[in-house]
Amino acid sequence: MAAVVTEAPRKERGPQEDNEPRGRRKRSTRVPPVVLAFVLVPLLAEAFWVFWPAVQGFYLSLTDWDGVSAPRFIGLDNFREMSGDAVFRTAVLDTVLWLLLFGGLSALLGLGAALLLQQERRGVGFYRAALFLPVVFSLVATALVWQAMYQPDGLINQALEGIGLGHLTRAWLADQDTALYAVIVPALWRQIGYVMILYIAGLKGIDPVLYEASKVDGANRRQRFRHITLPQLRSVNAVVLSVIVIDSLRSFDVVWALTRGGPYHSSELLSTYMYSTAFQSLRLGYGSALAVVIFVLAFGVIASYLVRAFREAD
Amino acid sequence: MITPPTSPSPAPRPAPPGRRQFLAGTGAVGAAALLSGCVTSGSTAKSESGGDVTLQSNLSSPQAKKAMEKVVEGFGKEGGAKAKLNTVASETFRTQLPTYLTSANPPDLYTWYPGSVAESYAAKDLLLDVSDIWTGPELTGYPDALSKLCTSAAGKKVFVPTTYYWWGVFYRKSNFAKWGVEEPKTWDEFLDLCDTLKGKGIAPIGLGAGGNTPWVASSWFDYLNIRINGAAYHRELLAGKHRFDDPEVRKVFDRWGEALPYFDPNGTALPFQDATTALLQGRTGMMLIGTFFADSAPKGQLEDIDFFRFPVIDPEVPVAEEAPTDGYFASARTSRKAGVKELMRYLATAEAQEIYLKNSSGTALPTHPDAKDSGTALVKKGRALIEGAAELTQYFNRDSSDALQPPADAALTRFLAKPKEIGSILTTWQRESQKIWGR
Repeated sequence: MAAVVTEAPRKERGPQEDNEPRGRRKRSTRVPPVVLAFVLVPLLAEAFWVFWPAVQGFYLSLTDWDGVSAPRFIGLDNFREMSGDAVFRTAVLDTVLWLLLFGGLSALLGLGAALLLQQERRGVGFYRAALFLPVVFSLVATALVWQAMYQPDGLINQALEGIGLGHLTRAWLADQDTALYAVIVPALWRQIGYVMILYIAGLKGIDPVLYEASKVDGANRRQRFRHITLPQLRSVNAVVLSVIVIDSLRSFDVVWALTRGGPYHSSELLSTYMYSTAFQSLRLGYGSALAVVIFVLAFGVIASYLVRAFREAD
Repeated sequence: MITPPTSPSPAPRPAPPGRRQFLAGTGAVGAAALLSGCVTSGSTAKSESGGDVTLQSNLSSPQAKKAMEKVVEGFGKEGGAKAKLNTVASETFRTQLPTYLTSANPPDLYTWYPGSVAESYAAKDLLLDVSDIWTGPELTGYPDALSKLCTSAAGKKVFVPTTYYWWGVFYRKSNFAKWGVEEPKTWDEFLDLCDTLKGKGIAPIGLGAGGNTPWVASSWFDYLNIRINGAAYHRELLAGKHRFDDPEVRKVFDRWGEALPYFDPNGTALPFQDATTALLQGRTGMMLIGTFFADSAPKGQLEDIDFFRFPVIDPEVPVAEEAPTDGYFASARTSRKAGVKELMRYLATAEAQEIYLKNSSGTALPTHPDAKDSGTALVKKGRALIEGAAELTQYFNRDSSDALQPPADAALTRFLAKPKEIGSILTTWQRESQKIWGR
């Protein structure tokens, strides 16, 4: 919170004040009401809409609650149950897999696209726009389009049959072996453009002198990438890492719209499990406990990132 | 982070316990005030106030929505209270219902289900006692079975039924004629029919348990269970009095296993609307479904649609049918009791039910004994099916609870993909259900 300290003009000071020792001179600490309002009003709104529900969520994770009767305090039972819950374990594993595949591929492909499209050439704007376009669509709309493509008689199966790979056709979203991977694709399709923009911004910030100097020293393309581009992108990497970890943990809409975590929990993420437990099975206490786990994981990533960022700043 | 639904109105209710107060306090007053913008004091919640009666409806398919608008219009012409219709997407409606009912300023009247679903709210004093309107002329002629279905365990009437429909194995008459096959009566005849259709390169049984409608698979569980173990056992099982890993339940899956090779391989990939299209296009032969599927069919094709009773498996088990009833219950916290009851009385009339059926797909049946149904051959056959049944059941989630549907969906989807794992599937199903019953 910013506090504005103002010193009253000298002219208005009384003679007594002037006689006071210099170190003990009174300073006016009046904060203009407008500034105070700018700080306090958002703080109150934030406290009401974010902090208070979060505190309630923590409390609810210690209760058994069906959403209708009064919550019953059960201590850490929900967390104990979680330790023996096979679906929770599946959700954690799927979330880790999601993080690695969705996160890893979006970072790699985003960086690749940025390297390809960083230079100002004729028509490059079109390709950048084309790759960025999916970011503009809502994920639910994206999911609906992909759902049509994944249908048993949809575009993907038709294309496979068209190129003589008919034996590979399957009900992509209804098959327990493929559902998770099928759901990752639309999420990835959307995320790559976003990561690409972050990397392009980072690449634009690299001083061209470094490349020129390295060329003079005889460095080849690969060496320039290894020893100049990558180290220079370190700060962008940290941002991308945070974004994709947080996006992975909060991924919900695309999975829910396509598979609802099924079939038989095969594409269950922590977020979808939390939603279905809380709002479909009406076990809001257990759902809150899952939400707490997601919060702790997301908070852990953000905190570790901040610690690292501050350390680097020092 | 999950936040609790806006909590109860404070003044007229007994002081809530400490922890509840903790949750209710700021959250209830603040959220309700900010969301609805019209909470002035808790004491207004139960006192009579003016304004339109709000009717919260989950009937969001175009035909049903239009029909509801006509019904509300009809009520407006009566000259008494006025109603305002809020149509909410079905899934949102279902997940929000506990929040609606526990909020300080709830919508007044809701489309929903009687029986155990209504009872779960009635037991918590969240539903308006409408016993008085059941003594009025609009409802006195209703059959005893419906009256019982709408009565809470405490003996109060909490529901007004308006329509009901039936489940059956639907097919296209022209396709059956083309394939030279006929309706089967017994399980063996049914399997023979499946065999014949499969021989002709047609997927005999469509399902529609993909996308957002995995619950459709429960119809197969329900019917096999009521045909093998009987309706009484089925109801007890869904009430938690038996276990899903009992040998009786295992028998259901043994029988289901016999029919499994005849299921459309895309059965768990397509929602029931798309499975309806596959049926109409002759890619699948038959489909066990409720009459609501007609909303997904072009009206011109309804004349070509017929159905048969789910085959009898054990002749000694009395034949029961699934006949879900729809209607209305009201919030106990409504501030417009008189208006709500006036609207419920109107909805129970033959006139209102006929308006609804005329403007919707017309495949449901009215609950008022004098109300005319759409009169088609299909509806006549449906009525005969229900009237000829020894017992009626509602549907899996209606006879158990909405909370038990997700574990059932998971178990049945798993069974359809990996029938050999039935042992572990039933163990898991029981464990998951136990968590909900155990509350």
